[in-house]
Amino acid sequence: MSVLQALDGYYGRMAARGEAEELGFTRENISFALAINKNGSVRDITDLREVSGRRLVPRRMSVPRPKRTSNVQANFLWDKTAYAFGVDGGKSKRLSEEHESFKKFHREMLSGVDDQRVEAFLAFLDRWTPKTFEQAPFTADMIDVSFVFRLEDEHLYLHQVPALRARWIESLQEQDASRVMCLVTGRMGDLETGHPIVKGVEDAQTAGAYLVSFNATAYTSYNKPLDGSNAPVSKEAAARYGAALNALLEKSSRNRLPRPIGDATTVFWADASEATAQAAEDWFALMFNPPAAETEATGLEKDAQQAARLGDALRQVAAGRPIGDLDPRLSEGVRFHVLGLSPNAARLSVRFWLTDSFDAFAQRLARHYDHLRIEPAPWRLLPPSVNRLLVRTTAPQEKFENIPPLLAGELTRAILAGTPYPRTLLAAALIRLRAGDDPSTGWHAAAIRAVLARNDDRKEPPPVSLDRENPHPAYQLGRMFAMAEIAQRMALGKVNATIRDRYFGAASATPAGVFPLLLRGMQHHLSRLRKDGKGGFIEREMDQIATQLPPELPRSLRLEEQGRFVIGYYHQRKARVGDKPVDEIADQESPKEGDAE
Amino acid sequence: MPFGVRLHVWGERACFTRPEMKVERVSYDVMTPSAARGILEAIHWKPAIRWVVDRIHVLRPIRFQSLRRNEVGAKIGAVTAERAMRAGTTAGLGLLVEEHRQQRAATLLVDVAYVIEAHFTLTPRAGAEDTPAKHASMFNRRAAAGQCFHRPCLGTREFAADFALIPEGAPQPESALPPDQRDRDLGWMLHDIDHAAGGISHFFRARLSDGVLDVQRCLAEGTTA
Repeated sequence: MSVLQALDGYYGRMAARGEAEELGFTRENISFALAINKNGSVRDITDLREVSGRRLVPRRMSVPRPKRTSNVQANFLWDKTAYAFGVDGGKSKRLSEEHESFKKFHREMLSGVDDQRVEAFLAFLDRWTPKTFEQAPFTADMIDVSFVFRLEDEHLYLHQVPALRARWIESLQEQDASRVMCLVTGRMGDLETGHPIVKGVEDAQTAGAYLVSFNATAYTSYNKPLDGSNAPVSKEAAARYGAALNALLEKSSRNRLPRPIGDATTVFWADASEATAQAAEDWFALMFNPPAAETEATGLEKDAQQAARLGDALRQVAAGRPIGDLDPRLSEGVRFHVLGLSPNAARLSVRFWLTDSFDAFAQRLARHYDHLRIEPAPWRLLPPSVNRLLVRTTAPQEKFENIPPLLAGELTRAILAGTPYPRTLLAAALIRLRAGDDPSTGWHAAAIRAVLARNDDRKEPPPVSLDRENPHPAYQLGRMFAMAEIAQRMALGKVNATIRDRYFGAASATPAGVFPLLLRGMQHHLSRLRKDGKGGFIEREMDQIATQLPPELPRSLRLEEQGRFVIGYYHQRKARVGDKPVDEIADQESPKEGDAE
Repeated sequence: MPFGVRLHVWGERACFTRPEMKVERVSYDVMTPSAARGILEAIHWKPAIRWVVDRIHVLRPIRFQSLRRNEVGAKIGAVTAERAMRAGTTAGLGLLVEEHRQQRAATLLVDVAYVIEAHFTLTPRAGAEDTPAKHASMFNRRAAAGQCFHRPCLGTREFAADFALIPEGAPQPESALPPDQRDRDLGWMLHDIDHAAGGISHFFRARLSDGVLDVQRCLAEGTTA
């Protein structure tokens, strides 16, 4: 199943809903409508913008498809002010050329059309000078936005007049287009030379980018020209997939993840009847991208509801029952598609493309959340989405734009295809911990545990919650490090650089060299605490850990073992002694600022 | 059928590029018949024969991987090279990579193995001494010895293929395809490019049934999906 064929299928759903554009028309942002009198003079201007939040945003209208990329080419019966009026905000060198081309284009296209609107418009073009833009009713905020036109008080805009629409569609038929076998439909069709532009991918060119393009000679083969004959797609199929993809990528679309994963804008859709498909898409959005927990009280009930729904769904799926049992709309098998597009200047590359039954995706997501489980959970209620997991474990400064893009794409593919996680996730999490991220939050431990649980079939997976009898020395060393840090905190209180800041990386990589140092220091802290009668539990835990360690500490730990070290550290930091968490005891009993020595 | 051959091909990576995603490469799920023909022609080909691919067996799970590579965006044209030849100097013939740097992403197949079943037919350019038996034995001899004109590749030249002939009567290698990947509809797949007619691409409705892409049957079935 190729991307273009699946998009073609989605267009069928759009057409059935009545949302399909007629081929040759696209949705664009239009801000104002200019009304002209019959004699071609300016009558007034209507503001078409809509209120969104506190700003005015242009309205999306279906207008004749723009055919310009970087060349000078006017749009039919609508355009930005540089073309339509010869006025723009910047210092465009070809402003007059653009305006002239607008006039010339319309005189050619509309010659021979007998309509009073056309006469009025042509008269307007003849009478218009850019100087007129400086007077009323034109204002300064009308520069560099798009205008449409209409006659006097009519409701119909010029580009909506049936005769003119027909004229436009007629002009799109090329006389001498070559006939090729289309690779999307399998039928013969006219070769599409300029594929549709795709807008809505984050960080792509604002003018839009191309999914299928041949914009340099090195990209063509067999001496074919730069017209797309290396990838024969018929005009209808191209228009359809372009409309479908642009619709999926709209900002408010329910088929799009609100935030790109790494750098890949992700869209998803189902191939089924409308009601079933929408149900599947809603479920996928919930399962793949659980919303982050709200911090205000009002969000709590909604969170609890979502958590309950998601928990039910995951348990259902993990037990092997189809999700159709939970939601009757999903009883039939639904084919589901997930597409991640990442920008590369004027092109789009497919970061990941997965097609499978919705049940298969649901099962794989359940398996992923199961592998990600760690007790106590670092997250409230809902497990994290891929984005949240990556930003907390692999991104410097926890910023979304710093997530390594290749890792994000590979991790998403591994989750949705059920294949082993990329080992680079383990390495990236450990690198962040060495760079100073806090291992006691548990996010890194969760990601590392997921990689080790799924990838290492031969070894036992690391434990989900604290396992005092775990045989792995690396795990026990992590626990020991946690206790050493707690001893330091209880003895010294707040210090500028704890042993975690100084020694975490070295202790996890080369324990034999570092632990003797830490244990010596720990003895001083423990003797101090003994004098105050505190910290007995530390010595008891240390005795227990020591029974699990081998006689000689390992000289160095491999990456997987360093991962177990981190997991052991986290489990011990969140351990409970008596019935109080160790952290709380440490906080209560450590000396505060300003205490007497 | 008489003089059919079976060739076991495998490699670390493969990229059977989809024509519509040629720039930011995305691979087909399975080897295309034209790639299979390319491998056979690398081992043995003469103008007298034309290879026809019958079946492609998929032996390893279908897994994808993404990479980004630095490439160039310009080609040195044949005309430029010709001009340099005639002028007898290489001035103006070079391509400075820094000026044409382009970064291109690719989604490739990882760890692939296929068995190609094919036969050949004689073309009008076959002479009196060209018999099917002769060419079949030449192919078998060369494939068994590992001889080739140029190293066969899995889609693009950088992904070299290892090959081994499966002699008549020898058992087929085991397929490690998991059950949920054995049957799938691959959509419209490139069948081949008709160079004689000016480089027209032909597509066919491909289907993987029990891990086998039966090219001839898919062609015969036409568009009935």
